[in-house]
Amino acid sequence: MDLYGSKERFDIFPEEPSGRGDRSLGDTRRESAPSSEKVQRPQEVGYDLEKEVAELAKMYGLDEDREKELELLGGRLEKVESRWPPARTEKAGLQGSLYNRSKSSSSVKDPSQSTKQQGLPDEASQGENQSKARADDEAESSTWSRGGLSSGGMSDEWNSQAVSEEEVEEEEEEEEAADVFCSTCKIPIRAFDKLFGEHKDHEVAQLPSAVESEKEEIHKNMCKLEEQIAQMENVASHLEEIFITVEENFGRQEQNFEVHYNDAVQVLAQKYEEQLEALGEEKRQKLEALYEQLVSCGKHLDTCKELTDETQELFLENDKVEFMKVKKFLKQEVNLELSTLPDFEERTIDVSEVEQLMNSINAIPAPCAPVINPQAPNAATGTSLRVCWGLFSDDTVECYQLCYQPVKHTLKVKETYCTITDLLPNTQYEFWVSALNASGISPPSERAVYVTAPSPPIIKNKKIQSCENAALVCWESRDINPVDSYTVELSKLTDEENDDIITESIVGIPNCEVLIHLQPTQKYYICVRAQNLGGSSERSEPVLIHTTGTCFYLNEDTAHPLLAILDDGFTISCDELENPECDLPVYDNSFTRCIAILGSLIPFPGRHYWEVEVEEDTEYRVGVAFENTPRHGHLGANNSSWCMRHIITPSRHKYEFLHSGMTPDIRITVPPRRIGILLDYENCRLSFFNADIAQHLHTFNSHFQHYVHPCFALETPGILRIHTGITTPPWTALP
Amino acid sequence: MALKQVSSNKCFEGFQKVFEHDSAELKCKMKFGIYLPPKAETGKCPVLYWLSGLTCTEQNFITKAAFQQAAAEHGLIVVAPDTSPRGCNIEGEDESWDFGTGAGFYVDATEDPWKTNYRMYSYIKDELPKLINANFPTDPERMSIFGHSMGGHGALILALKNPGKYKSVSAFAPICNPIQCQWGKKALGGYLGPDASKWEAYDATQLVKSYSGARLDILIDQGKDDQFLSAGQLLPDNFIAACTERKVPVVFRLQQGYDHSYYFIASFINDHIKHHAKYLNA
Repeated sequence: MDLYGSKERFDIFPEEPSGRGDRSLGDTRRESAPSSEKVQRPQEVGYDLEKEVAELAKMYGLDEDREKELELLGGRLEKVESRWPPARTEKAGLQGSLYNRSKSSSSVKDPSQSTKQQGLPDEASQGENQSKARADDEAESSTWSRGGLSSGGMSDEWNSQAVSEEEVEEEEEEEEAADVFCSTCKIPIRAFDKLFGEHKDHEVAQLPSAVESEKEEIHKNMCKLEEQIAQMENVASHLEEIFITVEENFGRQEQNFEVHYNDAVQVLAQKYEEQLEALGEEKRQKLEALYEQLVSCGKHLDTCKELTDETQELFLENDKVEFMKVKKFLKQEVNLELSTLPDFEERTIDVSEVEQLMNSINAIPAPCAPVINPQAPNAATGTSLRVCWGLFSDDTVECYQLCYQPVKHTLKVKETYCTITDLLPNTQYEFWVSALNASGISPPSERAVYVTAPSPPIIKNKKIQSCENAALVCWESRDINPVDSYTVELSKLTDEENDDIITESIVGIPNCEVLIHLQPTQKYYICVRAQNLGGSSERSEPVLIHTTGTCFYLNEDTAHPLLAILDDGFTISCDELENPECDLPVYDNSFTRCIAILGSLIPFPGRHYWEVEVEEDTEYRVGVAFENTPRHGHLGANNSSWCMRHIITPSRHKYEFLHSGMTPDIRITVPPRRIGILLDYENCRLSFFNADIAQHLHTFNSHFQHYVHPCFALETPGILRIHTGITTPPWTALP
Repeated sequence: MALKQVSSNKCFEGFQKVFEHDSAELKCKMKFGIYLPPKAETGKCPVLYWLSGLTCTEQNFITKAAFQQAAAEHGLIVVAPDTSPRGCNIEGEDESWDFGTGAGFYVDATEDPWKTNYRMYSYIKDELPKLINANFPTDPERMSIFGHSMGGHGALILALKNPGKYKSVSAFAPICNPIQCQWGKKALGGYLGPDASKWEAYDATQLVKSYSGARLDILIDQGKDDQFLSAGQLLPDNFIAACTERKVPVVFRLQQGYDHSYYFIASFINDHIKHHAKYLNA
């Protein structure tokens, strides 16, 4: 907004706040002072709002003060500008009336004021017509229109002072320019007037500087007005909200009444029916009774007639004996009274029920159904849930009734939330809630399903496989139902005591196992959490993994029935050998002929090393095999296994290095007690060493197409002790 | 002792050279082959001594065995001396191929007319290493020895008689038990005299029986189709039995289809080089 000299603004300037006052001009558009000022900004902005605000302001009685203030302002400004007259001439009219006056740049026209005022109405109306032609200006004009231009009104409003003094007809002032500013009267005057007019004793200031100071003042007032406008906007929107709420409340009450009145009407109708029916019934009964009476009368009549006839006949009878016999027949009494009265019973119309209904209309309605919230994050633990709901109406509510299932429970709760405990983990519960007050209970809310968090899983400690660079960890869920995913957390142990720091977190694991990449020769604590919609379970018991060397476990499923795994899980023994193909129970996956067992898969690339401690008098086979090595076969006898075999002959120890049933002819003079096995996926070799003397025994060069399992077999009773987690010794590098 | 370079050929970025010198032990001019790996240009390297078999010179190994690539890879200097003194004009030296010229048997002869010149044991044990260490970028602490046939025998006895001198030893089809085989009896008898007890000092199998030095790790490759094996000249079983008894670690590999030739050596030379490298570079 340009406060300082846009022509547009000038156009608006001369208007006065109207708001109140005479609307004789018939201008229905009134704007309060604030809006008029506001309008002086780009004129398109806020036109409607101003109108509204003007109305509201009027309602709140805001306009009066503003009006005055702005009058002053407007007036002053008008005086200050001298360019207006030309622009305004066309406008004529209303902006007219005051405008004309205020604009007068020429000297005081006090004397003419009143006369002018008289004349103004005419101009005003003229102006009004003309101004209506102008789009934006109209607003201002209306605002400013001092409606009444009625002399009285005018003068009052113009109690601003000098302004009124100056009101003269526009046309008349055009040619006279003011050039100094009278600070006393606060109007521009001609220097001439200073000397000779009534201003001669007043203080004067140069016009330009006066203009400047006026501009500053105006600017300040502008800001205030803007604030006001903002406030008014808030008020307006708040009122809108209230409008809406009133509508809503009305709607609800209306419905409420409708229901109740309908009920009452129904009850009345019902009563009417009932009464009518009873009445009908009574009528029927009466008619029946009368009819019966009629019938009996009729019979009686017949009987009498017969008797009469007989009597007459009898009189004609000459037999005196017969005559004397018929004396009794008229002894019958005839009941001539009416069996029933024609009048109906009095029936009271029982409207007590209806009365009750009518009375209850005035009572508070039962509440509307509350709205139950969906499950919020962190609202669940493994055994508890925090359920929340809300009431979206103004109903009075005394308390809530929360229900849930499975196993239906009902609780009364005063607040709009409740924490339920003693729940099962990883289970869905359905909740619904009703609101209660003196009138009754609301319909139940929609049902919301909440899920408790899962139980922490259990890591299969004995089934951890690792090597220097990685670990394969698996676990099992403690919940019956599936969970969404698992999160693995690992922390590396350093020498300091801060082993609670999680260094890495792997989320979104779909199955119960994970392959983690690790640093060599470090210690890690690893734990697992289960995740579902309800959140995360507590941490599982951690496991410690030491990445010194390759670790695997023995796969019991594959063990030949005669092979026993001792308690430490890494020693195998065979006691007797009677019949390797005996009738002992066999798993699908176990060896049947070769008394062998597979270790778990070594699924990590690179080099792996382990050792087997053997006894001199034990015949054995140790090596590696593919998963699919035939369980009916012998280790080394097929192309899916490689092994070193020790046989004892009467003369010496014999060693074979078997693959596909073939072995090179190799003599070893010192029987190894501790065999070192190096599996090098990278360099495609499998090497055997006498680990005690670092002596290389033999190397298979084979590009392993799949990962392999370590394998072990006993051919005579004895024990093999397997050692894992050993750092690969340097002397295994060659040959 | 001045060395005279006889030839030099670049091979696998190293150099296969042949030198000649005047030997004090053997009192004649001797040649030897030496392979210097690329690493020798910038630093000291361990030395691996190869002893050739009957009828060989310094040429056979360096031209037929194809060891240079492995030697270059592992940074080993490989020295291949001749198998006996030459041009000594000893009567009868050229009469047979398995005694005299080309058949030094790596002993210090005590019998005339051989005892002046035929001192291959000392030559290999002392003079040659001294010469090599003085003239080439060697690490004198790291030495190993291997050989073929008669050279295998030489390697074994030198290692067994000098515990700790050699970091490792290996052999191709060695004569393991010379006092029991024809070759041995002829040669040892000729060089050392008829007293068989004097021969034992140069018999690997015998030496092992009383060996009590630093632990050895012996690798032996033997062609299964080796005619001399079947002729009973080599007798590895005896050696193995003795080693088993004495708990001397040996890995003896009987290689199906291979004979006594350099084709056999070339087939397994890499394994042997690696075997030595494991200890020499440790």
